[in-house]
Amino acid sequence: RYVRQLQRLQLLFSPTGADARGARQFVEEVAQDFARQHPDVVLYVSPHSGPGPAPVLRAEYLNGTVREELIASKTSEEILQLATKLANQSGLDIIRIRKPFHTDNPSVQGQWHPLTNKPSILTVQGPRLQPQ
Amino acid sequence: MVVLSAARWVRSRLSDRFWRVQEVLKYARHFRGRKNRCYKLAVRSVRRAFVRSTKARREKKRFLRALWITRIEAASLEHGLKYPAFISNLLKSQVELNRKVLADLAIYEPKTFKSLAALAQRRRQEGFLAALGDGKEPEGIFSRIVHHH
Repeated sequence: RYVRQLQRLQLLFSPTGADARGARQFVEEVAQDFARQHPDVVLYVSPHSGPGPAPVLRAEYLNGTVREELIASKTSEEILQLATKLANQSGLDIIRIRKPFHTDNPSVQGQWHPLTNKPSILTVQGPRLQPQ
Repeated sequence: MVVLSAARWVRSRLSDRFWRVQEVLKYARHFRGRKNRCYKLAVRSVRRAFVRSTKARREKKRFLRALWITRIEAASLEHGLKYPAFISNLLKSQVELNRKVLADLAIYEPKTFKSLAALAQRRRQEGFLAALGDGKEPEGIFSRIVHHH
């Protein structure tokens, strides 16, 4: 079953700053619907009074990564898009994946070593193996 | 653009020069010499590094293919076949494995590779018989072609 990797979304903004207008609109109109559509994500809205740092949307994932996105001077639709994008992500770091595959057991028949295809005189013979 | 009266139009100075410089220097940190510290030298080196990395993506494909071919050649020589004979006979027996997979098999699955080499050898012998002893003998078993429609 699908487990959403996003644990919580923290919306930090100031109730008076001009660049937090989109954040305030988001909280008034769209945040409740967003929270209902994503029941396994906890949405924290924390307005800090007075002129503080820039408004930020902080996403915390199940593997511990914390991702902060600036929402200064963004409309509430853009913030909604950002929030859905963060909700659909997993917490893995966004770097180049070196290989699209990974195995813990790469070799089933035994990895090649210089003695695999040599005749049996060179390999160790146990008491039961007789040279043919 | 806000238009104020001439007396009030103040020329403001650049405040985030540090971060603009760091954006470039972060890609130069592992370079050798002064180009990992000095912005003027780093800009040129970083640009050349990016250009080289885009061009190298095309070379990487050629390089990896050559690597796979070397590995398959070494593995098939262990089983007594040369690389052109191995590849051509595998294709004639309708085994369409690419060189990447063949190289991985040669490393991690040596018995499978041995059987593939034996298959190629058998097809080679049947090819010789069909070419030299014309007419009377029936066609080889591994020379039959399966048509998928």
